[in-house]
Amino acid sequence: MFSSIEEVIERFAKHDYIASRRIATVIYLASALQKPVLVEGPAGVGKTDLAKVLAASLKEELIRLQCYEGLDEGKALYEWEYAKQLLYTQILKDKVTEVLVGTTGLAEAVDRIASEDEVFFSERFILPRPLMKAITSEEQVVLLIDEIDKADAEFEAFLLELLSDFQVTVPEIGTFKAKKIPLVILTSNNAREMSDALKRRCLHLYIDFPNREQELAIIRLKVPDAAEKLAEEVVNVVQSLRKLDLKKTPGISETLDWVKALTLLNVQSLDNALVDETLDTIVKYEGDVRKAQEELKEYLRKARTRRTGTETTGSSDDKDLLN
Amino acid sequence: MEDKLVEFANLLRQNGIRVSLAETLDAVAASDVTGLGERELFRAALRATMIKRASELPVFEELFDVYFSGLGEIIKGASKEVQDALSMSDQDFQDFLDQMEEMLKNHGEELSELAKQLLQNNNGQIERAMREAARAVRMQGIQRTIEENYFARALARALGFDKIEQEIKELREQLEKLDLGAGMKAKMEEYLDRRLKMLEDIIRKYVRQEREKRDMKAREEQRMNQLGDKSFYYLSDEELEKMREAVTRLAQRLKNIIAVRRKRMKKGRFDVKRTLRANMTNGGVPFHLKFERRKREKPQILVMCDVSDSVRNASRFMLQFVYSLQDLYSRVRSFVFVADVGEVTESFRTNDVKEALDVALKGDIINVYAHSDFGRSFRNFVTDHIGAVNKRTTVIILGDARNNYNLPHDWCLREIRQRARRVIWLNPESRNTWGFGDSEMERYAIHCDLVEECRNLNQLYRVIDQLVPR
Ligand SMILES: Nc1ncnc2c1ncn2[C@@H]1O[C@H](COP(=O)(O)OP(=O)(O)O)[C@@H](O)[C@H]1O
Ligand SMILES: [Mg+2]
Repeated sequence: MFSSIEEVIERFAKHDYIASRRIATVIYLASALQKPVLVEGPAGVGKTDLAKVLAASLKEELIRLQCYEGLDEGKALYEWEYAKQLLYTQILKDKVTEVLVGTTGLAEAVDRIASEDEVFFSERFILPRPLMKAITSEEQVVLLIDEIDKADAEFEAFLLELLSDFQVTVPEIGTFKAKKIPLVILTSNNAREMSDALKRRCLHLYIDFPNREQELAIIRLKVPDAAEKLAEEVVNVVQSLRKLDLKKTPGISETLDWVKALTLLNVQSLDNALVDETLDTIVKYEGDVRKAQEELKEYLRKARTRRTGTETTGSSDDKDLLN
Repeated sequence: MEDKLVEFANLLRQNGIRVSLAETLDAVAASDVTGLGERELFRAALRATMIKRASELPVFEELFDVYFSGLGEIIKGASKEVQDALSMSDQDFQDFLDQMEEMLKNHGEELSELAKQLLQNNNGQIERAMREAARAVRMQGIQRTIEENYFARALARALGFDKIEQEIKELREQLEKLDLGAGMKAKMEEYLDRRLKMLEDIIRKYVRQEREKRDMKAREEQRMNQLGDKSFYYLSDEELEKMREAVTRLAQRLKNIIAVRRKRMKKGRFDVKRTLRANMTNGGVPFHLKFERRKREKPQILVMCDVSDSVRNASRFMLQFVYSLQDLYSRVRSFVFVADVGEVTESFRTNDVKEALDVALKGDIINVYAHSDFGRSFRNFVTDHIGAVNKRTTVIILGDARNNYNLPHDWCLREIRQRARRVIWLNPESRNTWGFGDSEMERYAIHCDLVEECRNLNQLYRVIDQLVPR
């Protein structure tokens, strides 16, 4: 638990995450009200990282369910370990024969086996998947349901049930009820809209691209050896790239990748021939790369005129002094 | 506070943001946690609990400002104006108010409660009195600009404005007789005048603000209704964009409804026969369990869209709808036609809907600037594509059936219908005009299972809803 919003900000900062007050407030509310949070926003703005850092700063285990098309309850909740069951029946063959001693006819044998079959449908043979793990954990955990928009709407409906009562019924065994309600973070890149029912259940947090200052701060934090001038220039260019109509708008991850690449190449400023070759770290599609090149050229041109501009004023100042 | 939040939720709802009761209760709980002291925290608490779509954020921010800063800000602003008019620093003003209080102790016992609060700059108390008065005169009913005067007068009456005016006048007369020093006396007199005027201002601004609040929602409501009922024929770029979003939303809503419906009737019973068969190779040991699947044969859809100028928008939204719902059908094929017919299925598979629409409507596939010729299009369809139609196919034709007096070739439609599961025709033209002029609607209607008017979003949604497999 956090005792205040400031504490959220501080603890997140210790784990290298810059949480705006807006983000911190929602996290604080989620932990105080025990409500799941649906975090939406474009790719690469720190949604997944938010959940990781939340777990780390609470010193809780992070259990992650990565969603994808076709994800079903079996993969998310639990499966029976058929192989293990089979293995046990093989090993216990003799015991099985013993059980069957004295039965006459198939029907009776089947009945006899049936009366013992709960042995094989017990917790021992269950393979828990992330959701089951989160429910049965002894300690509170952070449950990250990542990119829920990739799962089918049917899976979403199933999840909704789980989020409303935090219990799971395995017909053969019984009901597992969460001992500690997990802190749930769901993320979505908005590939499709989530159902109203799910949204109603969750607190909502929309994370947009960061502004200039925030992005600079994140770079300083994550790539401390980047040249200050480079960092500023990169942020300027990325921020203006985001205004273009790109097929895939770069997120913070791309900004970080770019700065890392340039720093590795020992580049100090964007005014460098190597820069062009690293553009594909920030934009992925060919058409986008072309647009980015244009934007970069434009930026450098402006930067240059600005510089020569200051130089002229500088020299006129000198002249004034001389007079 | 609860009452206020409930009212705020209503206001959001009236502005097209769906806020449930559960969410309102969450907002109450959240604002208990954040407290009301820090405005931005309170705002964040409401935002996280009541707003679940990024697109709704701007409306929320706007309404929050109007609703929660509302009266309080007006009163604060007005009192600041008084201070500025007297050209006093904060410290001066405070000292002055202290003197005022002292003076009132001796000479103001008869003042009414509100007059005292007013003169002592008790903004919170003034706000409360204003709200009470507003409730008494039912100000929430205000709607139009011309009602502002009426409500301003009613509010003034409820507050006892005339009495306060009289009291302040008397106080002023008393001041005359007092020995306060000329500077101080002038200041106090001016203060009294300004305060009275301030009350007038507050009343006026408050009424205006309330009216704007209601108006905003009225305007927005009107816009949404209009969008749903707006004919596809003429749309501005902005409306086109709005409409596109609306279609996406509607399609998603439909999908969610269906998902829940399906979820309810999902897993079938354990299927012994299929399990045994599937596990033959394992010597009959059941590695893989099989359950009875409820048979839900997904239908196939084939859309034929007239994309000539007159009905292009309708086609656009039809296609967008069908493709947003693609996974509900086992197969969707789409064709566009004007005087010739061409298939666009592939480009919808590989591009996103918006691009695919652009491709389909741009004219690379067929000439979209030709004069409509339904007869020729149908004939070409039968010649080249009739194989696409089988007895599981629902054929949807969207067009105005205005054939430019060309040969109708309605036999082609008959042929299509014989092979198809059913044929549905959607006509974006008003039903009254069907069959007049060059409209061949009646001739074609004979070969359709269903003919519907489809001139706007609401009608389109109803049609699509019927087409969705249950
Ligand atoms: N506020 C932030 N503070 C620090 N790092 C951040 C912040 N936001 C994003 N990042 C970094 O950006 C990258 C992308 O974040 P990620 O969580 O994967 O994005 P998403 O899940 O939204 O696609 C990560 O390396 C993350 O550490
Ligand atoms: Mg992610």
